[in-house]
Amino acid sequence: MTERQTILVVDDETLNIELLAGLLKADSKILVAKSGERALKIAASGKPDLILLDVMMPGMDGYEVCRHLKADEETRGIPVIFVTARNDVDDETLGFELGAVDYIRKPISPPILKARVKTQLALMQQQRELRAAHSVIKSSKERMEEELNVGREIQMSMMPLNFAAFTESGTPSLFARLEPAREVGGDFYDFFELSDSLLCLCVGDVSGKGVPAALFMAVTKTLIRSCAADRRSTAHIVTHVNEVLSEDNDSCMFVTLFIAIFDREIGKLNFTNAGHNPPYIVQNDGQLIRLGARHGPVAGAIPGIAYGEETRLLRDGDTLFVYTDGVTEAMNQAGSLYSEERLAELLREKGRDGSKAAVEACMSSVSQFEAGAERADDITLLAFTFSGVRGASVTRTWNKLQDTAEVNTWFDQFAQSRDLDAALTRKINLVLDDLLSNIISYAYPETDTGQIETGFAFEDGQLQITLIDDGIPFDPLSAAQPDLDTPLEDRALGGLGIFLVRELMDDISYKRDGDRNVLKLSVHAGSPGCNPD
Amino acid sequence: MSILSSKIQGVSVILPDGRLDTNNYLDAEKLVAAHVEAGDTKIIFDFSKTDYVSSAGLRVILKAAKLVRADGKIALCNSNEQIHEVLEISGFLDMLDHYGSLEEAMQSVAD
Repeated sequence: MTERQTILVVDDETLNIELLAGLLKADSKILVAKSGERALKIAASGKPDLILLDVMMPGMDGYEVCRHLKADEETRGIPVIFVTARNDVDDETLGFELGAVDYIRKPISPPILKARVKTQLALMQQQRELRAAHSVIKSSKERMEEELNVGREIQMSMMPLNFAAFTESGTPSLFARLEPAREVGGDFYDFFELSDSLLCLCVGDVSGKGVPAALFMAVTKTLIRSCAADRRSTAHIVTHVNEVLSEDNDSCMFVTLFIAIFDREIGKLNFTNAGHNPPYIVQNDGQLIRLGARHGPVAGAIPGIAYGEETRLLRDGDTLFVYTDGVTEAMNQAGSLYSEERLAELLREKGRDGSKAAVEACMSSVSQFEAGAERADDITLLAFTFSGVRGASVTRTWNKLQDTAEVNTWFDQFAQSRDLDAALTRKINLVLDDLLSNIISYAYPETDTGQIETGFAFEDGQLQITLIDDGIPFDPLSAAQPDLDTPLEDRALGGLGIFLVRELMDDISYKRDGDRNVLKLSVHAGSPGCNPD
Repeated sequence: MSILSSKIQGVSVILPDGRLDTNNYLDAEKLVAAHVEAGDTKIIFDFSKTDYVSSAGLRVILKAAKLVRADGKIALCNSNEQIHEVLEISGFLDMLDHYGSLEEAMQSVAD
C-alpha cells in the first residue's frame, strides 16, 4: 500500500468520532460525518476506502445509510463496517444482509478495531489492484481480438473467389473454400491463368498462427504469382520461392505447398508437393488416386533445395482435390481426428458430384464431425474438374526452331488426351517430323529463329492439322516425286519425306498468306474418344 | 530415345528405341557407318522398340544400303503398323526383306 487510505467515520456523538479518529489517524486519512445525510454526501464526493458507520443515529440511521450506499453505483463498492452498542444477533444479521463487511461492538477494543480496519483496507486495496489488472487484461484481450480480425481480414481478402471464370456448361470446374479457425491458421489457396491454356493452382499452409502467419502467407502467395509468370515448371517455381523465403527468415516460419500447372489443351497436370498433404484425383471412373509423392521439404526453412515435380494426364471428368491438414486433423469433442481415411471415403462417394458440390460436401462432413468442438486450424479445400478436351482445337506457337523437337512430344500428349488411335498418332508423328524439318531447312535457310504455329482440330471425323510459319516462301508440295523404282543404293537421299506426307494424309494444301506459309492437312480420324482399340 | 547396336554372330543389329526421326537419325547413321567401317556387310534393323520412323529414319536405311552396296545384306524386322506402312509406301519393301522376328532376319542374312 503506497498511498494513505481514507476512512469515513460516521457517528452523531462527537466523543465517539474523536475516539475512532484518534485510533486510526496515524495510518489513514480521516473524514467525519455527524449524520446519515452528511455521510452519504461525503461518501459520494470523498470516495473513502472504508466507512465506519454508527447504527443508532437520529434521522437517517446506519442501516438506512448503508442501504443508500449500496443502492448507488458510485458508492456501492466502498466496504462498510457497522460500529454499534446494540448487541443483538438479529441486528448483526441485518447489517450483513445490507452488505456490511464487518460488525464491531461498543465498547471498542482499540487493537481489535485497528486489526479489523486494517484487514478491510487491505482487502479493498487488493480488490482495487485486481480490478486494475482485469481492465488491463480486458483491453489487451480486445487488442488481440482486433489483431485476430486483422489477420483474418488479410487472409480472406487474399483468396480469389472468381470461380465463375472457370465455369463449364453452367457448373464451376474450379471451386475452393477456406474456413478460418478462430485464430488465423495461415492457410491459403490461389488460382490464376498463365495463358489461354495454362492454369496455375496452389494450396498452402503456413506454420504458426495469427498475424505473423497471415503476413507470411501473403508474402508466399505474392511470390508464387510473380515466379509463375515466367516459369512454366512447378519445380522451378517452388525452388525459387523456397530460396527467397528462406533468405533472412529469422522467424523460422515455413509453408507447406502444393502447386500445379494444368494445361487445359492437353489435360496435362504438372505438380510439385513441398511437404504438403497428399492430394487426390478422383477419376471419372470413380477410382481414387492418392498423389503420395513429395518432391521436397516444406518451403522457407532450408535454402538450396532443388525441388522435383511430377506430370500426370487428366481425363475428361477427372477431379483434383487439394486440402490442408485442417481437414484431416479436425477434431471432435472426444478428441479423435477426422482423418485421411474419412476424407478418402467421402471423395469416393462425392468426388464426382462436381467441384463445388464435392467441396461443400467435404466442408459439411467436417463440420458435422466436429459437432461444435472449437476449430484449432484453418480448413481449406480446392477442387478442379477437368472438363475434357473433346472436339476442342489447340494451337501452339514455337519461337525457336530447335523447339520443334518438342512438337511431337506435345502432339503425343494431345493425342493421348483424346484417345487418338496409336497408329494414326505415329503417322502424324512422321508428318510433323518431315514437314517441320523441311520447313526449317527451306523456309529458314539462313536463320535458326522463327515462329512456327502448329494447330490441331477435330471436325466431322477428320483431324485437321495446320502449320503456319513466317519463313521465306516455301511450298513443300512442289518437291519433285522421288524415284521409287531405282534400287536403294542408287537413290538420292532426300525427297522421301514430302512424298510420305502426301501418301499418309487424305488432303494437303499450301498457300502463301502475306508473309507466311500456310499448310493445311487433314486425315480421317474416326470419332475421338470412341476409338475401338 | 536412344539407338542401340550390337553384333550377333557376325551380323550388326541396329535397335532404335522410341523414335527414329530428324532428332536422332544422325546418331543412327554414325552407328551404321562405324559398323561398315569395321568391315560388317550384314546389317539388320530391328524395330521392336521403335514407335515411329520418319523419312529421316528411312534415310538411315538408304545410307546403309549405299554403304554395303551389292555385296552386303540388309534385312528389316519387327516393325509396327506405321513403320511397315512407311516402308511399303516408300518402296523399301520391294528392295528389302522384312521379317516377323529377329531370328528369321538373322537366318536370312546368314547364308
